[in-house]
Amino acid sequence: MRLTARQKEMRDLGTAAHKTAMKLLVALGDVYGADRLIRVTSAHVAGASYKMVGDPGLEFIEDFAKDARVAVPTTVNPLGMDLERWREQGVPDGFAAKQVRIAEAYRAMGVRESFSCTPYLIGNRPRFGDHVAWAESSAACFANSVIGARTNREGGPSALASAVTGFTPNYGLHLDEGRRATAIVDVKARIQGMGFSLLGLHVGREVGGGIPYFRGLKGTEADLKWLSASVASASDCAMFHIERVTPEWKRARPKGLPRFTVTERDLKAVRREFTTGTDADIIGLGSPQLSAEELRQVADLMTKYPPRIPVWVFTSRAARQEAIGPVLRIEVLGGRVLADTCLEVTLIENVSKTVATPSGKGAVYLPVLCGQKVVMEDVERLLRRYST
Amino acid sequence: MSGKPMSFLGGVDRETGRVMDPQSDIAGETVAGRVLAFPHGKGSTVGSYVLYGLARRGCGPAAIVNERTEAIVATGCILGGIPLVDGIDVSILRTGDRIAVDGDAGSIDVPDVTERPVVTAFLRNRGRVLVVRRGEEVGTFRGAWSGVSGYIEGDERPVDRARQEIREETAMAGARLRRQGPVVRTRHESTVFTIHPFLFDVPGRKVTLDWENVEARWVRPEGLDRLPTVPRLSEVLASVLARA
Repeated sequence: MRLTARQKEMRDLGTAAHKTAMKLLVALGDVYGADRLIRVTSAHVAGASYKMVGDPGLEFIEDFAKDARVAVPTTVNPLGMDLERWREQGVPDGFAAKQVRIAEAYRAMGVRESFSCTPYLIGNRPRFGDHVAWAESSAACFANSVIGARTNREGGPSALASAVTGFTPNYGLHLDEGRRATAIVDVKARIQGMGFSLLGLHVGREVGGGIPYFRGLKGTEADLKWLSASVASASDCAMFHIERVTPEWKRARPKGLPRFTVTERDLKAVRREFTTGTDADIIGLGSPQLSAEELRQVADLMTKYPPRIPVWVFTSRAARQEAIGPVLRIEVLGGRVLADTCLEVTLIENVSKTVATPSGKGAVYLPVLCGQKVVMEDVERLLRRYST
Repeated sequence: MSGKPMSFLGGVDRETGRVMDPQSDIAGETVAGRVLAFPHGKGSTVGSYVLYGLARRGCGPAAIVNERTEAIVATGCILGGIPLVDGIDVSILRTGDRIAVDGDAGSIDVPDVTERPVVTAFLRNRGRVLVVRRGEEVGTFRGAWSGVSGYIEGDERPVDRARQEIREETAMAGARLRRQGPVVRTRHESTVFTIHPFLFDVPGRKVTLDWENVEARWVRPEGLDRLPTVPRLSEVLASVLARA
């Protein structure tokens, strides 16, 4: 890989963090066949929940933070708990103490304390064509597909390396040829609400990653957030196109690609398959974190169907502040609106055995990361089913 | 040396470097201060941090040798300052080998192991291939079934050696070369055999054996699995048949 004089200087004469970061980017560039490092306009790092990274991650992040400082605007993924309300969540003191240390290390590096899997909703929003280095598969998929920014699915350390150097290896989704469709998906079903999550799960597994090109699909940006999250959790997919909807569909070149058809029956089968439990202890809404608008919708539905089991709603701190009215309504009706964390990276297993959720990503990860059974259902149906 | 993909999160004890994964073929061994060879990494990306922590405590591997490096291991090695070499067929390595690793050049040297280039030729006639059973007089793999084979000497071309072995071991004429397969390596004691595989079509099935072999059989390719053969013979055959 060719390095510029400035990049070589950073590698050879920079801080310890610069040196490590440059070596890491070069090594990964070699693994993936990159020709050079290119500038990024922002980074989004993962590996912030103590539940996910454990003591090995804490140790690395604290060491690295000693002389690291981010060079581009950088946000960070959810923690393992709400920094204010962790006691209500059943989080033990020892966990909380280590979680606070991780958050502190990121803060010390100059990372914005977003603790969010939806950076694009809270101020870290790239423009079309920007190169960025984003970990968090759902956000990377959204950035590529819906915004037309360019990022690979970064890991925690590689995104952090890009944050402190401002560079990323030039391969994969940074290249025009890496963004072309690899399969056509004809949607022969009416997709709405949770349907976007089911579609993502189905296509992720059937098409097996790559870059699907959807036909016959319409959706709002909010809908595509759910599609991004579920397709990325069911496969290594980091981008999709939707004909006449997403910004790069005209460059997708779908002609001659293998074709798949998705019907209502496929989506029903997916819902059945991911529904492994029968009676939920808790309703979990998030994964990805809800937007302010989605908090309003949940508050309205909860007013209509006051719940008889706990409802945990995951959102970003920014959205919680923006939608303070709906948040209060949810809380009055017995729900909890938790910020800084999300559905499966927190210790939901300390309070529950079966979670009801409309999230496709949640349905994938709750069993493996939290030992939960899942009841997968649209949010309105869930609230109706578990209402007083 | 592990022949299986390795997961560091949960697979290796973070404080000691001992391999804990009961599924691993090197469970109970320690990686501390040793050159660790395995095909490639697997499992959680937190494995990168585990490698970092091991190196920081001084109980990480002295170096890592991979067939195909992926991001988890590459990241952990960089974070921990562990030399890493990839593109190596690790199946030719054995636990206990002395090995020198040059991380900058991306090469390894295994001083106690010698490499012997050999040919293995399969003769094919009407859907069956010839296998021969090695006698008691030969130096290695006595009594095992094999293709027609022999050592490549000096600078000679592998295909010339293959033709010569066919003449000597079978006395068959009219063999026509159909395919040369990619090299397959196999380890036997302190020798690595570098096998150059060939497929020839022959007009008949009459074989006259020399002193090296004691029995000849024409078998269907899938029947090879049922015979006690020299190591990796099915793979060698598959490598020439797959594209035939």
